[in-house]
Amino acid sequence: MTTRSFRSRAGRGAVAVTAAALLLLAPACAGSRVADQKQQTKSSSGASGLIPELNLPSEADTSMGGLVNYNPFAPQQTVRTWLFESLMQQNSLNCKVTPWLATGYDWESPSKLVFTIRQGVKWSDGSAFTAKDVAFTFNLAKKYPAIDAAGVWNDTFGAKARSVTADGDKVIFDFTGPAVSKFSYIIAQKIVSQKEFGSVGDPAKYVSKQPISTGPFKVASNNGRRVVLERRPDYWQADKIKVQKLVLEGNYDANQAAAKLKAGELDFYTGEIPNPQKTFVSADPRTNHVWYAANGVTVLAPNLTRKPFDDVKFRQALAYGMDKQSATDKATYGLMKVASQTGLPLPEKQDMVPAKYAGQNTVIPFDPAKANKLLDAAGYTKSADGKRHNPDGSPIKITFSVQAGWIDYEAMADELTSDFRKLGLDIKENKMPPEAVDQQKKTGNFQMMINYMGAGCDYAHGMGATVASSEIPTRTTIKGNVEHYTNPAVDKAIAALGSTTDPQQTKQQVGVLVDAMMTDYPVLPILYAPARAIYRTDHAVGWRPRMTRTPIRRTSRSCGSPT
Amino acid sequence: MRYFSRRIGFFLLTLWAVVTLNFLIPRLQPGDPAELMVQNLAGKNAQLNRAQVEAMRDLLGAPSGSLLDQYWSYLGQLAHGNLGISYTYYPYTVAQVIGKAFWWTLVLVGTVQILSFAIGVLLGAFAAWRRNSRFDTAVTSISTFVGTLQPFWIALLLIYGLGYGLGWFPTAGGYDESTPGFNGAFIYDAVSHAFLPALTLMIVTPIGWVLGMRNTMIMNLGEDYIKLARAKGLPDRTIALRYAARNALLPSVTGFALALGGVLGGTILVETVFDYPGLGRLMGEAVGIKDYPLLQGLMLLTAVATLVANLIADLLYGVLDPRARKATA
Repeated sequence: MTTRSFRSRAGRGAVAVTAAALLLLAPACAGSRVADQKQQTKSSSGASGLIPELNLPSEADTSMGGLVNYNPFAPQQTVRTWLFESLMQQNSLNCKVTPWLATGYDWESPSKLVFTIRQGVKWSDGSAFTAKDVAFTFNLAKKYPAIDAAGVWNDTFGAKARSVTADGDKVIFDFTGPAVSKFSYIIAQKIVSQKEFGSVGDPAKYVSKQPISTGPFKVASNNGRRVVLERRPDYWQADKIKVQKLVLEGNYDANQAAAKLKAGELDFYTGEIPNPQKTFVSADPRTNHVWYAANGVTVLAPNLTRKPFDDVKFRQALAYGMDKQSATDKATYGLMKVASQTGLPLPEKQDMVPAKYAGQNTVIPFDPAKANKLLDAAGYTKSADGKRHNPDGSPIKITFSVQAGWIDYEAMADELTSDFRKLGLDIKENKMPPEAVDQQKKTGNFQMMINYMGAGCDYAHGMGATVASSEIPTRTTIKGNVEHYTNPAVDKAIAALGSTTDPQQTKQQVGVLVDAMMTDYPVLPILYAPARAIYRTDHAVGWRPRMTRTPIRRTSRSCGSPT
Repeated sequence: MRYFSRRIGFFLLTLWAVVTLNFLIPRLQPGDPAELMVQNLAGKNAQLNRAQVEAMRDLLGAPSGSLLDQYWSYLGQLAHGNLGISYTYYPYTVAQVIGKAFWWTLVLVGTVQILSFAIGVLLGAFAAWRRNSRFDTAVTSISTFVGTLQPFWIALLLIYGLGYGLGWFPTAGGYDESTPGFNGAFIYDAVSHAFLPALTLMIVTPIGWVLGMRNTMIMNLGEDYIKLARAKGLPDRTIALRYAARNALLPSVTGFALALGGVLGGTILVETVFDYPGLGRLMGEAVGIKDYPLLQGLMLLTAVATLVANLIADLLYGVLDPRARKATA
């Protein structure tokens, strides 16, 4: 029970930025509508038109009263979203970039990136934010690799940087080679001030108690349990901030969070609550809502170095033999959709699907008859006991490694195991702690497991991580290609992705990866992994209700960029 | 005297074994702490960002040298009272983190243990004295029934009933809007937050004492010296309290010392359910997040507390009961 609650609590990540933007901008755009304004005057917010207060859970995964640290380089930050800001915000779902502390960027060549820094931004202490602060932040990471989470000064996502310099309102990144892939990580780096961090020595070891930040809120009070953030009227886009106070309090497990949400003591939660429709929304559908969007793909990863998974025909048969719909209903209570074999979360990334698959349904249907036929044709015939064996006559015995305690993964694994049994395969589940599954990823000593396949906005390291031969895990490092897939054409496409800034070229190379997914079945997508928010709207006047009904892209058009 | 030196020698040997195990166990665990940390921050549905993992490795610092070298430097650190730096609360030290949680658990669980002991022992003694009475039957059967319930389940019932249902008590945290310190508002705040976790524990903790005390006392009541006391015509009260109960208390005293040692282990599930900022929740989190330095610190603290409590119980037992001294001497 304990472990499970922490797992579900840790469901932030990509969601955090989404959540931030949602909170900031949703009331702003909807607030312009007449109907909502009528409602606003009715509420206690009065003439100011501001939402007086919203309650959110603590942003630190764990918080021990009084151990405050606002340092954005610390693993646990007392406040993660609302204080420090980055150069740009990238919507993790459709990859649209919104200018933030930088107003624009330009790849002068694949090894030279120039940002134009926004003028008129003020730090929370009133001093002016300049391009020098940006250059300072990135150069600090050069001196202290422990804070270089964007990998600017090493070759993790492309060539390392030679220099980062400020010139007027420009910041120039000069790389030793093509470094296009670094973009998503660079724009997400939180920018700190030279004033605060200039003289603190090792920034990783520094405890920041009086943060100097550019963000929409500043700390009004923190008694070690309850952090109260107050809207900054001098924030550079203060007109869009419609919330006067944010209260961050408590590390709730799913039970507590559901109860607090229902009781109106919590307005917004991004953790995993089992069946939120039933436990939360149905209690009062007018104010209680959930928002689940496709953020990545949960896939079945067979070990391609083992028989019979080394045979593409066997993998193809498995793809038709999986009842993905039933697995999805059981794992997500029908909130998510079954995944396309392209490896791209659709419809969010529909633009990237190659023309030749455009009209097709790329979700492989559940068709056990076809699966059986494919297996028979490939020589995996049944013995007298009804169990299939390899074409060379040796028996097939499959062990499915499952992350115990990850309830959605367990539900998927249970469904798939029973589906595969019906095909005549001798398969059993081995449920073990998630760290033990991670260990198997490193050793390569497993037969099949469930894995997460990111699409990312940097396709070379998002989608590419699952299929690039350089991404096969090593004994010491977990990487994305747990199934050990190798394909020279795919490797070439990924290299090309890392050195192109041309969208047409990017789409073409992603097409190579999609092709590999559609014809080689290196992994078998099951369902879309969610970005999620569970929230109530009665305290947030003007909040756009029922996000789930409108496709994301449509909301983003009518409303700027709510995600 | 030999009795005492043997006890102390045994204590030191166990302490060394605990420290050594504490050093070895995290090193035998699968998984790279840096990878685990980054994955935990990102959530399970996220790709591991390798630049972030590299940075995290740099931050946490990999252990260097042979296992033996590491062992010596670990012992050296401990000798200086240095428990290392927590992974999760970096750059705060393990000692600072534990220091914050320590008082919450000490006050909550400590109070509960002392009250439970007093109530449990009294109820048990009374039930034994009036054995087979209606009171005895009620106490024993209720205790046996409640003893089969899981504390965290009782906690959930109380949260929904007294917390959300009636709204009498806060349901999560150690305090809310007040400023920690010696002031009325904070004390009121902290006590009202501690009420439900304390009630949960008060329902389950006395049971062991009730049943233990009742059984030992019943045994003692059959002893010859009780018969003698009766024959001498001593009043019932004196026999019950000064003769039977006093002797029956001996094993309970040992048990109580052990229980006090266990206080620092906290009550992981109950504290987690109430989001109570004590050592139990901290330990639960350290396990979940694989914060090995913090976990080591907590394990060491718990083990040492239990050992010291055990030692005190042993020594006290030697003083209270001359037979124990003679038996081993």
